[in-house]
Amino acid sequence: MELVSNLALGFATAATVYNLTYCFVGVFLGTFIGVLPGVGPLAAVAMLLPVSFYLPPETALVMLAGVYYGAEYGGSIASILLNIPGTPSASVTCLDGYPMARDGRAGVALFLTAIASFFGAIFGVLVMVLLSPALAEFALLFGPAEYFAVMVLGLVAASVVSTSGAMRGVMMVCLGILLGTVGVDINSGETRFVAGLPELRDGVSLVVVAMGLFGISEVMVSARGATQSYATENIAMKKFLPTRSEWVRSIGPAIRGSAVGSFFGTLPGTGQTVASFVGYALEKRISPHGEKFGTGQIEGVVVPESANNAAAQTAFIPTLTLGIPGSTTMALMLGALMIHGITPGPRLISEHPELFWGLVVSFLFGNMFLLILNIPLIGLWVRLLRVPHYFLYPIVVVLICVGVYSIDNSIFDIWATLAFGVLGYVLRLFRFEPAPLLIGFVLGPMMEEFFRRTMLLSRGDPMVFLERPGSATLLLVALLLLLTTALPRRFLSWLRKA
Amino acid sequence: MQRDRIISQVGPALMLVIGLGFFVVPILTLELGTARRLGPGAFPALVGGLLAVLALITLIRNIRHCMGWEQPDPISVLAVAGGVIAFAFLTPLLGVLPAVVVSVLTTASAVPQFQWPGRIILAVCVSIAVWLIFVKGLGIPLTTIRGL
Repeated sequence: MELVSNLALGFATAATVYNLTYCFVGVFLGTFIGVLPGVGPLAAVAMLLPVSFYLPPETALVMLAGVYYGAEYGGSIASILLNIPGTPSASVTCLDGYPMARDGRAGVALFLTAIASFFGAIFGVLVMVLLSPALAEFALLFGPAEYFAVMVLGLVAASVVSTSGAMRGVMMVCLGILLGTVGVDINSGETRFVAGLPELRDGVSLVVVAMGLFGISEVMVSARGATQSYATENIAMKKFLPTRSEWVRSIGPAIRGSAVGSFFGTLPGTGQTVASFVGYALEKRISPHGEKFGTGQIEGVVVPESANNAAAQTAFIPTLTLGIPGSTTMALMLGALMIHGITPGPRLISEHPELFWGLVVSFLFGNMFLLILNIPLIGLWVRLLRVPHYFLYPIVVVLICVGVYSIDNSIFDIWATLAFGVLGYVLRLFRFEPAPLLIGFVLGPMMEEFFRRTMLLSRGDPMVFLERPGSATLLLVALLLLLTTALPRRFLSWLRKA
Repeated sequence: MQRDRIISQVGPALMLVIGLGFFVVPILTLELGTARRLGPGAFPALVGGLLAVLALITLIRNIRHCMGWEQPDPISVLAVAGGVIAFAFLTPLLGVLPAVVVSVLTTASAVPQFQWPGRIILAVCVSIAVWLIFVKGLGIPLTTIRGL
């Protein structure tokens, strides 16, 4: 009964013309970004952060979330038609989607991709509806030690998936945490690391860090390699409909993909890409057509798409109920909430029910918009691929500059964004991935607060982290995660030598 | 080859310097407090120390097994940075819209395929879009053209 009243509250919030408009804008931009390989959803969400300052928090989150999951839909279009994934998680869709397109069945692949994405997203939303309140209630039992341990686990998970290795990932997290300490210390009132610059008293702005690291540096990396345009053929609507047997063959994989995606979405650090890879590998093993995967099998398109879209929705569970972002984009969402003075965590659902349930219901509307955008309007996106997209890069730079400047009319922020852009570029040159830095930057101040509070409550005994079963378990999991990713290669070489 | 090996050490070395900086500066300038009541310098010093140790390990590993580095693209960096610098300099002097035009033209020079007529059309279109979205749509008080 409580669930029904919560969903009714969500409908009342999400179904206003204002929120529906921003939801549509979000999913439209998300699809646009997903279709064009180059600018990812992370950069798009970062660019929209300043705009969200001028919106109510629930509207801002509805729009940013729309960009995030809309990109998952759009990402598969270039994967199927061009064998170029629009988003990293859509790379699995290339394996069977592109061979289908070469067989002249691109329409069927695109149609089933949209349906599978919708199914996966709705599955993920249902999991979110059922799991989030229970998890939030459980998390209310957490003390500061457990919170600190959850954050350590989240940061370790974020760093071990770094493509440049766990060690470099942890270093990036540390750098992010340190950048988060710049400014006034809220406990003592003392300023830290401001180098005499009054603009840094309130700390480094999240918008500046995100725009610099993922906007400016991304353009520096990609602009010169931009391709002119892609040749695509027109797809007639009549070529869209799958056969009866293709429908039947898609049901099982869609359910399994959604289940796998929902699970991996809730785990910090894994996200949609891992979800779609695992879903594909699992389906390949159990499917009667497993040996034909990679040659244009319908299951090979349905599974990754249902998995990555389910994961995109369930990724909101740890972010909103525990305050632990599972990915960099989720860290930006968390930052957007904090900018509006809302602290994500177990109390969010009870203190801001309209925001949480409004967001959940907006996912339903957003996915319906996406279904419309991706089936009847697919021709629009196919034509978009023919437009040379190097023109995007100057637009991105200008939108970043205007967006950053519009927050406080501060030129200092523009210089700081440029500095972070150059930092991000230099980090990439030396094979340091900047994504874990942002997660560390967002979680760092909270982590310090919980660490200091725990030490105060334990009268200065650091063993408290290991004496409390909750925090000890979480820290042990974090340690195991680190060891299993950082050590095997060394162990293997040591064993070989021995 | 040897030059690349040396340059590839810059990344971990930079991390080492940053880590040491965040370890030493709080010890020298901020209060560390006690184990029970940690001061403002304790947490940064702890994390800075951890970063320095990890950077040192990475540096040593990198000397043994060089991870290499990506070749930079100076034209791209200069064009993009130029676009941002143009915006930062011109906004207080001329207003946002002229700054947008110059910024687009500067950044577009990073893309060799982008011809001049296209750049000019894009610069004008983007400045109109900025005015429509930020000034008219969102109502943000920006000085569009100074003196107007």
